[in-house]
Amino acid sequence: MKRVTVLVAAALLLAGWALAQGFSDKPPVVLAPVGTVQMRAGASKEVSLDFRIGSEFHINSHTPKSPLLIPTVLKFTVPEQVSVADVKYPAGQDMSFPFSPDEKLSVYSGDFSISTVLKTPANVSAGTYPVKGEMRFQACDHSACYPPRTIPVQFQVTVVK
Amino acid sequence: MKRNALVFVALFVAILAMLASGKYLDRTRKHGAIKLVGNVQGVPAPDFTLQSLDGSNVKLSDFRGKAVLLNFWATWCPPCKVEMPWFEDLQKQYAKDGLVVLGVAMDDSEPATIAKFASELGVNYQVLLGTDKVSDDYGDVQYLPTTFYIGRDGAIVDKMTGLLDRKEIEETVKKTLNTNYRSSSVPQNQAKAEAKAVAVKDFAAKDAAR
Repeated sequence: MKRVTVLVAAALLLAGWALAQGFSDKPPVVLAPVGTVQMRAGASKEVSLDFRIGSEFHINSHTPKSPLLIPTVLKFTVPEQVSVADVKYPAGQDMSFPFSPDEKLSVYSGDFSISTVLKTPANVSAGTYPVKGEMRFQACDHSACYPPRTIPVQFQVTVVK
Repeated sequence: MKRNALVFVALFVAILAMLASGKYLDRTRKHGAIKLVGNVQGVPAPDFTLQSLDGSNVKLSDFRGKAVLLNFWATWCPPCKVEMPWFEDLQKQYAKDGLVVLGVAMDDSEPATIAKFASELGVNYQVLLGTDKVSDDYGDVQYLPTTFYIGRDGAIVDKMTGLLDRKEIEETVKKTLNTNYRSSSVPQNQAKAEAKAVAVKDFAAKDAAR
């Protein structure tokens, strides 16, 4: 009984610690679930990836105003049955911040979507294929910046004949 | 059974405390700079040798006897750009009193790019090329800007994360120039650590006598 109590105590402490960490270290950007994408063989399809940035944060757009700033970039690793024909980034919002009121930065904040155009060859076999990737971004709040981070982006593509 | 209930109540309280501290830190970050006063005060600043932009090696402990403002920054950090000219001014103003400003670039950019960036901001103080090791040694410096204020005796007087206003930075510089833990009282953290060490030693001695 005593051993069980100790084990439960340790587990609860660990869970508490993990939760507490989560409050301060969670990535400021999350991807909404994509679900399974259905496509016909030989067709192309545009898939919208919807991201949400935590309030108080912003990230650089895909085209920041300075080459020193780190752009938001989506990269995919796809199986040979699926290709990424295009990635369409939204335009950034020109915003100024308390740390530099006279300077406009091109950023994303709140919710934003990146469209990807997927293609499959005509001779592809019917089946479900995983598409994996990652989005790299660099976030700041009103007084500090966070190192560049990546979050995984993955979904399934089901090809029907 | 009653004892188990007590254990669970204690755990519940501990978890609530952890959640509250996590939430507090999160909230503090969102409302401005975190000032981790107390956690690092009086702790010896980890020594390092880093390469400067001119290729020379710079060792922190070579500045013993001076007050050091050690600023971690990056070219991709817009708030860092705001502070750097202030640091330059402060170095000019307080150099005669013994202030040294060292910038540590936590950047993947080429040294030439970093040098150009610093030069455009009018920075003349020494800029060093940061490494993962120095970041780890200073508590995994993640958020930029982060500045350590190191006293003449090599002990950390303060640590500040995020952009502060210039007045607060200058006040901290003055405090750093006037703080010398070794020659005055024993710093709080050190005193606590020593007290704890004595307590552990006493407990071990009693335990051995049983």
